[in-house]
Amino acid sequence: MGFFDNILLGFQVTLDPNNLFFCAIGVLVGTLVGVLPGIGPQGAMALLLPATFKATPTSSIIMLAGIYYGSQYGGSTTSILVNIPGEPTSLVTCFDGYQMARQGRAGPALGIAAWGSFIAGTLAVIELMCIANPLAKLALSFAPPEYFALICAGLILLTNLARGSTLKALIMVLVGLLIGNIGLDLITGLPRFTFGISELADGVGLIPILMGLFGITEVFENLEQNLDKREIYQTRIRNLWPSLKDWAEAKWAILRGSCIGLFLGIFPGGGPLLSSFVSYAVEKKVSRHPEKFGKGAIEGVAGPESANNSAAGATMVPLLSLGIPPNVSMAMLFSALIIHGIQPGPLLIKNNPDLFWGVIASMYLGNVFLLILNLPLIGIWVQVLKIPYRILFPLILLFCLIGTYAMNNSTFDLLMMILFGVLGYLIKKFGYESAPLILAVVLGPMLEQNLRQSLLLSRGSFLIFITRPISGVILGVAFLLLLTNIFTNVRKKYRQEYKELEE
Amino acid sequence: MKTYDQISSLFWLILSIFVCIESIRLGIGTLRHPDMGFMAFGVSVLLGILSLTLFLQAIFKKEEAKIEPFFSGKLWRRVFFVLIAILIYSNVMPVAGYLISTFLLMSFLFWIVKGQRWWGVLFLSFLTTLITYYVFSVWLKCQFPEGLFGL
Repeated sequence: MGFFDNILLGFQVTLDPNNLFFCAIGVLVGTLVGVLPGIGPQGAMALLLPATFKATPTSSIIMLAGIYYGSQYGGSTTSILVNIPGEPTSLVTCFDGYQMARQGRAGPALGIAAWGSFIAGTLAVIELMCIANPLAKLALSFAPPEYFALICAGLILLTNLARGSTLKALIMVLVGLLIGNIGLDLITGLPRFTFGISELADGVGLIPILMGLFGITEVFENLEQNLDKREIYQTRIRNLWPSLKDWAEAKWAILRGSCIGLFLGIFPGGGPLLSSFVSYAVEKKVSRHPEKFGKGAIEGVAGPESANNSAAGATMVPLLSLGIPPNVSMAMLFSALIIHGIQPGPLLIKNNPDLFWGVIASMYLGNVFLLILNLPLIGIWVQVLKIPYRILFPLILLFCLIGTYAMNNSTFDLLMMILFGVLGYLIKKFGYESAPLILAVVLGPMLEQNLRQSLLLSRGSFLIFITRPISGVILGVAFLLLLTNIFTNVRKKYRQEYKELEE
Repeated sequence: MKTYDQISSLFWLILSIFVCIESIRLGIGTLRHPDMGFMAFGVSVLLGILSLTLFLQAIFKKEEAKIEPFFSGKLWRRVFFVLIAILIYSNVMPVAGYLISTFLLMSFLFWIVKGQRWWGVLFLSFLTTLITYYVFSVWLKCQFPEGLFGL
């Protein structure tokens, strides 16, 4: 089938009323969780994953993808109106978005954020269409060493971009790999680390882990704070259509932001958060009036908002073409595919063209839905912002409990979810991040399988990972980045100590 | 963070030693024929090295002027009570059934954060229980336990 036939197939799949309904629900829920601080897209995806069991795989993925990219749109609303990012990816939007709202320009700020997101989201879909298929074809020539190198690189890059200490992120990766080891051995079929608990024979379920680490942990963290004390900046939202002057100021920021997101989104660990920060830094650097940044510069809203949306779309490239999730949200989609009996990887496009092209076409429509949801219907989201957390958190907890229970009708899963909720709460208290742990749990079995197969192929020689050109280059780049990061951290630390000594 | 790092690194170190012993028991195999404990052994050795590094880093780190308390304020008690409530719910639901146990849990959760009148709490709990039951059990055909009372 040719390129246009595939696109036609995609729209045929998406325009099916059932899929259209799931797409609309996905972007609606995405915007909702984006607007509401206290629950992120990962939490929402985990909560709604069990609700998709009765749906077709295509509908499920369309909905879950909608939640993901929809939340990037919604996150900007809280950043602009409340000065609290609905999502971490909208953090930088607070800097200038809230200032614009204080100057009575909430409308243009929301408008340019939505239009920027729309343009960037659409460009990301085009990138996905153009890159994923050739990349999948290339990946068909990959053997276990290349896959091992890719997964290793993904995990290393993720720790490189961790917000806190790289050492702690690496520890989280290793703990995740150990959790992924629980259950039946892939080759011998014998149980390991199950300690006689029959429920652990299939390993620790992904749903209890995800619900625990995202749903329960988020609730616990928020219960410790007083979230209901947030104040919404009281202003009339008008002029949602940015003026020609606004467009003139923001057009290049939107394009630059989109390109940054499209590029960084493909790499493991890259994604919306990093892209939005890089875009803000670039905008400030290239601006003729850098002093305006932080005081209501429209480029400071347009750039990062475009970047996080294009990156959200671009992160789907490695998942759909290589079967490797580059971040936690994609790990959710990965789990959803597995649950629905679809093996993510280079053969996905060939074996399930309806799913691949259907998801792509749904992203076009989803972006249009989101534009409607976030511009004419902005008033609804402002009202949603007023829902107190004391009403929200019992509902989030209940959805976590129901979702986990419904998976296997097992109270053991509920206990595992609570255990991981407590673990997530404690590791955050001790300054660790849960994202590397989750990704390692998901990728762990794949990593082990490819490592053992590679060693069998090479008759026990680790040189196979270096002598094969693709895996050698991938591993080399990843370790170089890791070393650079460690070196930068050490240098920063010594500089700080030297400065303190001087003072 | 210095003390926290010491505590957490020691925990990871103990975990790594435990996994190391367990993976040796399972069988590591050889490089030519890696066995089922091979990967866990390698990972636990790495974990041990990294947790030792973190521990040493923490020892030589200068203590911060202001140490952030582990539990700030008194709101952490809410976390504890909510944790106990969901633990009880997980164990009671198969016996008491979905409707009764969920209604009780929701009443507690809506009540624990102040600012709600008792009739508001009961109304919200009733509504939530009923709606979730219809959505998940009737519409999505999830099987919830009926419990002793058949509810």
